[in-house]
Amino acid sequence: MTFRNLGIRWFLRISSALIILGLLVEIVSLLWFHPLSFVLFAFVGATLIGSGILVYLVSLVLVATSPTGNGGRIGPVR
Amino acid sequence: MTGLTGVLIAQIVVAIALASIFFIRPSVTVSPTGKVLAFLGLCVLPALSLIGGMNTHIQRSEQTRFCISCHAMAPYGRSLYVDDPSYIPAAHFQNHRVPANSACYTCHADYSIYGPLKDKLQGLKRIYMQYVTTPPNPIRIPGGYNNNQCLHCHEGARDFEENPIHSAIMSTLTSNQMSCISSGCHDTIHNVAALNHVKFWSPGQ
Repeated sequence: MTFRNLGIRWFLRISSALIILGLLVEIVSLLWFHPLSFVLFAFVGATLIGSGILVYLVSLVLVATSPTGNGGRIGPVR
Repeated sequence: MTGLTGVLIAQIVVAIALASIFFIRPSVTVSPTGKVLAFLGLCVLPALSLIGGMNTHIQRSEQTRFCISCHAMAPYGRSLYVDDPSYIPAAHFQNHRVPANSACYTCHADYSIYGPLKDKLQGLKRIYMQYVTTPPNPIRIPGGYNNNQCLHCHEGARDFEENPIHSAIMSTLTSNQMSCISSGCHDTIHNVAALNHVKFWSPGQ
């Protein structure tokens, strides 16, 4: 099974889950006034958000390079 | 929490709401509007939140109360309230010769081009020492205290330049050959070992 076969919807769900988690971590880090809050933001929040954005961008590339051009309509997740 | 932090949190909540739509119903992206919303919710807003968060955390790390929130730094924070003008940090802090809310940063920042980055890496190293290993006691500045941190404000100031002692040794000060704080001139710094035997100033009294 290739990544493309998984479908853009699968990628969108992974991407949005990572971004939601990362943003929640960022809110906690902003409300917590402590030196460790920067570590939490930089190493956990930023990594999750960055990975989410990357997964979303990869999904765009996969759709754009799909031979049928309908990469967004296939995949196991409905 | 400052007003800007509140705005940033509101923006993050909007980003979470948008991202949740694509988590629950990824098929929304089939329509052109959905694609634009996906780009906003899964790329633009999270990226802006990331930049805003980094900016807020960097500004926050310059605050005095942030620095002294570390257990090892607490005595250094107390030393700012010593009621003795020979204590250089206390005299600067109490007389607002440095901004009181960023006193640590003003005197300990590296003012070179990559200084802020070096400072943040050094800060992470100190957090590592605090929580993983043992912080040194007393805390030492790697490489010693650089005169440039004093001269950043004092160089060019009339009372500093016209002082006959300063003018006689100016080249050794600017080249860092002679330290401002450890050459017998201004050598009473935080002196945390003696804090139990000194009088403290209380603001408002």
